[in-house]
Amino acid sequence: MVATPAEYMAELQAMTRRQFLGNSAWGIGGIALAAMLGSEKSAHANPVSLPPAGSVVDPLMVRAPHFAARAKRVIFIHLAGAPSQHELFDWKPALVRHNGQPCPDELLKGEHFAFIKGHPTLLGTPYKFARYGRSGQELSELIPHLASVADDLCIVKSCTTDQFNHAPAQLLLHTGDARFGGASMGSWLTYGLGSEASELPGFVVLVSGDKTPDAGKSVWGSGFLPGAFQGVQCRASGDPVLYVKNPDGVDRAGRRRMLDALQDLNSMAAASAADPETDARIAQYELAFRMQASVPDAMDISHEDAATLEAYGATPGKASFANNCLLARRLSERGVRFVQLFDWGWDAHGTSATDDILTQLPKKCKESDRPVAALINDLRQRGLLDETLIVWGGEFGRTPMAEFRDGKKDFFGRDHHPHCFTVLLAGGGCNAGTTYGETDELGCRVVRDPVPVKDLQATILHLLGLDHRRLAYRHAGLDRHLTGVTPDARIHAGLIA
Amino acid sequence: MLAACAEIILVGMAIIAPSQGVDRAADTLIAERAHDILVSRCLRCHGGVREQAGLNLAWRDRALQTRPKGPPAIIPGNAAASALLMRVLHDDPELRMPAEAPALSADEVATLRAWVDAGAVYPVLWSLRPIEEQMPAAGPELLWNTHGIDRAVSLRLASAGIPLPPEAAPESLVRRAALDITGLPPDPALVSAYVADPSPAQWDHTVDALLASPAFGERWARIWLDLARYADTKGYEKDARRDVWRFRDWLIDAWNSDMPYDQFTERVLAGDLLPGATENDRIATTFHRLTLTNDEGGTDNEEFRVAAVMDRSVTTWLAWMGTSMQCVQCHAHPYDTIDHRDYYAALAFFNQTADADRDDDSPLLHVAWERGTTTVPVMQELPVSAQRETHVFTRGNWRALGDVVAPSTPACFPPHGARRSDRLGLAKWIMDPANPRAARVEANRIWETIFGRGLVETLEDFGEAGARPSDVTLLDFVASRLQKLGWSRKALIGEIIKSRTYRMSAQPSDAALRIDPDNRMMSRAPRFRLEAEAIRDQSLAVAGILDRSMHGPPVFPHQPDGTWMVVYSGDGWTTSEGGDRYRRAIYTFWRRSSPHPSLMNFDAVSRETCTVRRIRTNTPLAALAAMNDPTFVEAAAAFAQRAIDATPGASDTERARWMLSAALVRTPRHEECARLAQLAAGERAVGTATAQPSSEISVWSAVAATIMNLDEFLSRT
Repeated sequence: MVATPAEYMAELQAMTRRQFLGNSAWGIGGIALAAMLGSEKSAHANPVSLPPAGSVVDPLMVRAPHFAARAKRVIFIHLAGAPSQHELFDWKPALVRHNGQPCPDELLKGEHFAFIKGHPTLLGTPYKFARYGRSGQELSELIPHLASVADDLCIVKSCTTDQFNHAPAQLLLHTGDARFGGASMGSWLTYGLGSEASELPGFVVLVSGDKTPDAGKSVWGSGFLPGAFQGVQCRASGDPVLYVKNPDGVDRAGRRRMLDALQDLNSMAAASAADPETDARIAQYELAFRMQASVPDAMDISHEDAATLEAYGATPGKASFANNCLLARRLSERGVRFVQLFDWGWDAHGTSATDDILTQLPKKCKESDRPVAALINDLRQRGLLDETLIVWGGEFGRTPMAEFRDGKKDFFGRDHHPHCFTVLLAGGGCNAGTTYGETDELGCRVVRDPVPVKDLQATILHLLGLDHRRLAYRHAGLDRHLTGVTPDARIHAGLIA
Repeated sequence: MLAACAEIILVGMAIIAPSQGVDRAADTLIAERAHDILVSRCLRCHGGVREQAGLNLAWRDRALQTRPKGPPAIIPGNAAASALLMRVLHDDPELRMPAEAPALSADEVATLRAWVDAGAVYPVLWSLRPIEEQMPAAGPELLWNTHGIDRAVSLRLASAGIPLPPEAAPESLVRRAALDITGLPPDPALVSAYVADPSPAQWDHTVDALLASPAFGERWARIWLDLARYADTKGYEKDARRDVWRFRDWLIDAWNSDMPYDQFTERVLAGDLLPGATENDRIATTFHRLTLTNDEGGTDNEEFRVAAVMDRSVTTWLAWMGTSMQCVQCHAHPYDTIDHRDYYAALAFFNQTADADRDDDSPLLHVAWERGTTTVPVMQELPVSAQRETHVFTRGNWRALGDVVAPSTPACFPPHGARRSDRLGLAKWIMDPANPRAARVEANRIWETIFGRGLVETLEDFGEAGARPSDVTLLDFVASRLQKLGWSRKALIGEIIKSRTYRMSAQPSDAALRIDPDNRMMSRAPRFRLEAEAIRDQSLAVAGILDRSMHGPPVFPHQPDGTWMVVYSGDGWTTSEGGDRYRRAIYTFWRRSSPHPSLMNFDAVSRETCTVRRIRTNTPLAALAAMNDPTFVEAAAAFAQRAIDATPGASDTERARWMLSAALVRTPRHEECARLAQLAAGERAVGTATAQPSSEISVWSAVAATIMNLDEFLSRT
């Protein structure tokens, strides 16, 4: 029905602000949140403007966030393979009661499993749960050290994903896209904010468990963003950063002599070629020289005091998850924007003792429980916890059903489960001491406050002072965002202190 | 040379059409400006992705549609009654459009009003208009008027008040051309011949000699390996090995034999469907079998088969047409007039092959070679009886099947017509002269490869949201030359490199720096860092240790220990022995989940998806690789030894001069030689002071490493 221009104008005038905005892209939730936080409207509207290609400006120079940030940096601890929420966080007495019984049909309708065949049986957890801390958070006996910092944790029990294979799910979690080619969260953050670590990479990756994640290095790749924003893997053995060590026969003084000559010759050429890129190259070689000292220094934990090493369970010179947690603190202290830890070995299907919930899972918990708690305590003691957001989690959850692959029932484990999983947040302005979201009585589906991966990403960006819709990069005709092209990611106020 | 020039002139004279580019009617200009405003200020919310308030302004018919509330957004001929104008002018900031963004300027509003009042005709996107096959108008300088490229460039420079740049020094020109054409430094004999006789004829001879080198194919194939997402592994979790090197060799040979681009396209997309398809025609189709295969336990093969089919379609549109289709999987294109349904109709061309994400990668072609047989995954069409239906996927979800669609191309392009509705039909449609995109996209890619920046900077997007060409007349001239040359890319590369424009000095004049700081008008030769492969290859070549063997299975040059940490696989990197350690970078084994780190530090791409353009970055990690990667360390030592052998008894200054000249292909300045001699003396003194006399090889290795890290050495100048 077409109104006359006058009628149309009159109708527009009559629309209230609330109605109008309620129908707009922001939605009611967005407005409520903006009103609550009071900071959105004052933010500047421009997305990040990068210097043009060939510019001499450092791509990692510090940039202001869109609005006041709660956290300055992130330590993202990814338990690759996906830890079981049933054994650690999501206590379901009903599941224990029905242990061994056939799974109700309604939970199987339209379900696709990675490995489960036929009609599976329910698997209750064999572990005990108790309430911890002033907050009374409910946690498993497998993670006593995390229980000791329960009041620092925001336990998100209602994360969901739409991928149930490792590689696509890891890609979705880190890049916002289950396909290859996206930019990872650390790349987005260093693109958006730069880095305060002038002599270290802004986005550092530490891997333990002797394996890279299933999706390979793409989970810390820069995708369509410039390569300067990709994660730099630092290693506990060999060169801490590839090629950081001088070759045999060249000491630091020798490298300095070579660089002095190099810079002199470059300057002679720059004077005649008038190419600003030459100056930029000189600056990067100088930074490389400084990194040759600063990276090994940052990566050397041998001078940490005995109490600290003990608290983490770290051993200098060894490649371990504990060492990586301690390194995450050292790198955070030095201003690294995003530290990403990957730990391999959490894919407990129950096909043997090396991937079950009775032997392997307790082993992994023993390796990781203490160092993560130590990291939280250490950051707090150093006054860094408030400004450092720790994220802990896997790429999906695990089924409330036993897998029993090929019908064998010698070991217990669970299949991949995209409908719910638990992620922990700590520090960085998160709502510590709370549990967010809820799953049904068998721990199969989310019944309250679902947090799809893109919501988690939007909320993390928000804590860092970035509006996930404004953090954009134009690529191949599209404005790309970490949270996807459609604007439906939601910031969960319940996760924010 | 004379024949080529005559041909260019004839082309120019044969077409006596009025230049639409210059005399375009005023209302067309207003339409273009108005449409640009829609694209930049409106479509983000009122385009194909979001359709806020049900409004999509990307399509004219949709913008004119009756709306449930209020008048249509656009009523042609009546701006005052159109919601578009009312809303951009609204007094209430809550209602004024664009929402939560600055208001349109008075000038922008006036443009929209004039455009709607004049009928709101949507302009045809520049890249969809027919290519204007005309000789660019002549500039003021006679010497710059023979070659079409020179005419366009010189006219533009002259009208901007920038003096025409002088020619670069002869030896620098030969280095430039050698790196651009072959990715390697020039043979000294080629340099000295041109320095002795820097005539146009000798230049043409130099260029032709470089184009005839087998190294040409190795350099230009690299670009298509990025487009083909070529790797020696399958991707995803296991990322197991896959024997596809025969395709890489086919690609090198296709460039070297100058296979015309139309034939190239037919073979790559549909070689198996050609009548009497040969073994090589089938190997060419491996291009689209380079999609990822997921061997991860528990994966649904149909899901990843569908993912591969989508990738093939998206890659084809990106590589040949400069169109980003990826976003259309889930919704209409945000800016271009490509609908959700179009995506699936385009995908349908690729949905009839027999492969299905199987662990064995079948169908495979068994190919005999010197050392036995290799099996290559190839495209193979299903028999008619077994062909699939292609459905629209609701919101891109492969399980949510919508309508069945038949193969077709989006309506904004020339019609697919009565062609075969299979891959061969699609290839023939792409290469039809009536399709202006294919020639523009490929000519632009060649331009970018040579000059470092495309005439259309966004190689990946020739659509509404992409960059506009810096000079559409020049782009169309180059594109039409590609067609006129019988799709010979080698001939086009030759024509470009034989121009005066190419031979410009890289030294900017004061006027050039002032008026054209970003060098968008080509006021000087572009200077940019070499690509990853050329950096490695050049160092090995200058050191004298490059192994020039061609073809064959991938090789394993030095890579730091522990780089591969592979899930569910014991696969390891065993460094090659002998010459295979020093082969050209294009032969390096490429593992998608863990590509060679040194090349990656120089912006190589992981090749999980089609990559149209590498973005050059300048980071400390690149500096660390160039200084400390054992390959470069070894190259520096070999270069030092070469210098010592070549200059027995020479003074330090003389030896430094020889090295600089060998590496940079120019006459070194005295202060440069003196500074390096000082470095050599310093190295020797340190050895003496520590009572551990430095060997001459270590002294000169320091000098060699310095030279091999010079900005000039790492750059195309």
